[in-house]
Amino acid sequence: MPWAPSLDLHLSFRLDGLGAIYGLLATGIGALVFAYGTRYMTLHLEHERRGAVERWRFWPWMLLFAMAMVGLATAQDLVLVFVFFDLTAVCSYYLIGFDRSDSKARTSAVMALLVTVVSAVAMLIGAVLLYAAYGTFAIPELIERVGPSETTTVAAALIAVAALAKSAQVPLHFWLPRAMAAPTPVSAYLHSAAMVAAGVLVIGRVHRLLERSELVMTGLLVIGALSIVVGGVLALRRDRLKQVLAYSTISQYGYMVLLYGMGSSTSNGAAAFYVMAHAVAKSALFMTAGAVTMATGEDRLSKLGGLGRRMPVLAVASAVAAASLAALPLTIGFFKDELFFAAAWEEGSVTTVLAVVAAALTLAYIGRFWVTLFLGAEKGQVTERSVVMVAPVAFLAAVTVVGGLVTEPFARLAASGGEVTAGRPVEVDPGYHLELSPENLMAIAAWTLGGLLLAAPRLTTVLSRTLARAGDLFGPRRGYEAMLHGLDRASAGVHGLEVRDLRSSIAAVLVPAGLLVGLAFAATPTDGAFALGHVSGADWVILPLLGLITVVTLVIARSRSRLAIALALSVVGFALAAVYALIGAPDVALVAVMVETMLALVFVAALARLPQEEPDEDRGSVVRRKRRRRDVVAGSIAGLAAFVTVWGFLSKPAAESVSDDHIRLAPEAHGGDVVTAIVADFRGLDTLVEITVLLVAVIGVATLMRRGKTW
Amino acid sequence: MVRRSGRGAAPDSVVRVVARMLPAPSVMVAAALIVKGYAEVGDGFAAGVIVALAVSLTYVAVGADGAEAVLPVLRHAPKIAVTGLLLALASGFFPLVYGEEPVSHQPAPGEPLTKFGKLELFTQLLMDIGVFLLVVGVLVMLLHQFGRLRGEEKS
Repeated sequence: MPWAPSLDLHLSFRLDGLGAIYGLLATGIGALVFAYGTRYMTLHLEHERRGAVERWRFWPWMLLFAMAMVGLATAQDLVLVFVFFDLTAVCSYYLIGFDRSDSKARTSAVMALLVTVVSAVAMLIGAVLLYAAYGTFAIPELIERVGPSETTTVAAALIAVAALAKSAQVPLHFWLPRAMAAPTPVSAYLHSAAMVAAGVLVIGRVHRLLERSELVMTGLLVIGALSIVVGGVLALRRDRLKQVLAYSTISQYGYMVLLYGMGSSTSNGAAAFYVMAHAVAKSALFMTAGAVTMATGEDRLSKLGGLGRRMPVLAVASAVAAASLAALPLTIGFFKDELFFAAAWEEGSVTTVLAVVAAALTLAYIGRFWVTLFLGAEKGQVTERSVVMVAPVAFLAAVTVVGGLVTEPFARLAASGGEVTAGRPVEVDPGYHLELSPENLMAIAAWTLGGLLLAAPRLTTVLSRTLARAGDLFGPRRGYEAMLHGLDRASAGVHGLEVRDLRSSIAAVLVPAGLLVGLAFAATPTDGAFALGHVSGADWVILPLLGLITVVTLVIARSRSRLAIALALSVVGFALAAVYALIGAPDVALVAVMVETMLALVFVAALARLPQEEPDEDRGSVVRRKRRRRDVVAGSIAGLAAFVTVWGFLSKPAAESVSDDHIRLAPEAHGGDVVTAIVADFRGLDTLVEITVLLVAVIGVATLMRRGKTW
Repeated sequence: MVRRSGRGAAPDSVVRVVARMLPAPSVMVAAALIVKGYAEVGDGFAAGVIVALAVSLTYVAVGADGAEAVLPVLRHAPKIAVTGLLLALASGFFPLVYGEEPVSHQPAPGEPLTKFGKLELFTQLLMDIGVFLLVVGVLVMLLHQFGRLRGEEKS
């Protein structure tokens, strides 16, 4: 469906394998989270002593987010993908910052927004690069047309950066743990199955573009591996429930990025399967964390324990989810790791070792999470029980077990998703094989290693603390903060310079405009431009008029009387109107005369109200002379640029101009007068927008002048 | 004229008389501009500015309060502006209803026109009238907003 045909943008959606997976996740988990959220948000608002009305600042964003996610899952156009990408980011900003009285929530929201939106711009740049080279934004067509080249590499890398930032991969991962300031339903939805999944979705969707560049694929491998390790190790010793899960998410999406980085058919199918298995488990765990926090009022592992007897249903359900994440048999998670191991084994020895370490880390941190929470000595008071908050967890746990027994539907979905990614049929055939296959051996090795890690808390503590400290010292978050402060200072500096006085505000417009035009001229060929024409006919009238304008302009620059300046300005205006009339633009002349009259009237009326004398405190002082010199420089730059532009344009007008068409078509559109026909017909849509702006502007004036009273 | 329209000073009588007499003819001129707009120079915008000019002269001559007392119709300016905008937008987007692109006017290019004297009847005319009303309304609102200094408000 064409959307803005002149920009070659199309609203193209298609529900293919990938779209189905992510669409199902967004709607299925979305529905559960919404159910969960009804209770959670009521309690949350009660705890915060906020009115129940505030939930209307929550649900619309959740709903918009869900719609954006479905749109993203089915979008087949890079620009469309970008739009939905940003839409999800904007929604997440409001959702993370829902507790607006909490400054931490606000900074987290801004951080998540900045990191994901700024990197999304990288994707837009990449898309435009591809468009410039291959002439389309449509992903399927691009995949067919794009060959390996430098442009492809750069564009692919830019798109990958956006996707990786969205999926919270190292080194742009730091926003995700901060984003845990959001209410739990947000985390259970956005930070397990939707927003972070969007990045991986984009990688899956444009994988065959990325494949054209060896460099980008290697980059994916490295970043995926780094994220697995960093996320996994940091998750080992976090104290806050949701922080553990956030770092786990970073690590888990690292698996998927790694799988896409391998780029074989096995790994593409495995990645699609992994997304589903992970989203179900992680969402259940997030909801568990929220339910526990709501029940006890505590959100730290060190303050909680032995909840198993008091919340048995939740304990069992979350045990299943945790087991799925740790890839124990009888859960769907077992197969995600089986496929992962198979792909890693196929790839080589390095990835094999990495895969085992990754799975061991997962078992260790999620094991600690569940064991600390539900086993051991009883800590924390259970004050609030809610069926609505446990049922979704139980449901997801049931899905997990069903998926562990009947893998067929999931496998088929994953296969069709992998097919979209790889562009060829993909086999996804998970199943229990009771033999000494490499996958099974790797799984056993991972469980053993994970069990050891779980049994050696001292070691993991040291490891995790060291990495966390190193991250604090040299981590990318520092860079982010330094950048933010730097930008802030630069902006404040420029702003200070700009608004110091009226002259500098005007110079701030004139000088950059002049310089940019100068730059443009330096870059354009000027052959044949700057020709001197012949003087003939009406020119003899125009020339004296222009001379008059020049003289009057000089008067304006030199004059000290305000009234003289105002009147001289209108002389310039009227003289210009006369010039328009003479060169055959009566419409422009008419409007110019009107506007000039209006301006003169307004000037005169305004001047009558000003005090008679201008303040003369610094007349003739050094400061004043210096300022004058600065004015001359600024004015000269802008004036020269304008002069050169106009001269160049007039000596070499564009060979074919749209105005020829306008003149030809005007009689057909019942217009004897071309300008009227242009305004009301040919560019009618522009006119409509402009007049709307007019009314908006006057409302703005009313707001500033008398608090919005229009009369 | 300048000093006289200042605070306290009485405006020049010539200015006052002219200002008093100008609004009615200005509306006539504006109407003429709209009527012949498509065949000759002029359109809704120019027509709107002409009327606004006459009004602003009144503002200068007899002050904001005086002008609004002499021309009580001015207080409808916000309504006029909004009506104009809606009229223009409606004429622009109405074609969407029967599946044409926005701003495709009726009768279509090349088809014969109905004429009423000199006035040619087609949907562009609606848009032009909309622009005219909007411009008048907006400019009068601006005059109203800026016409008084702070502290000079009517109590």
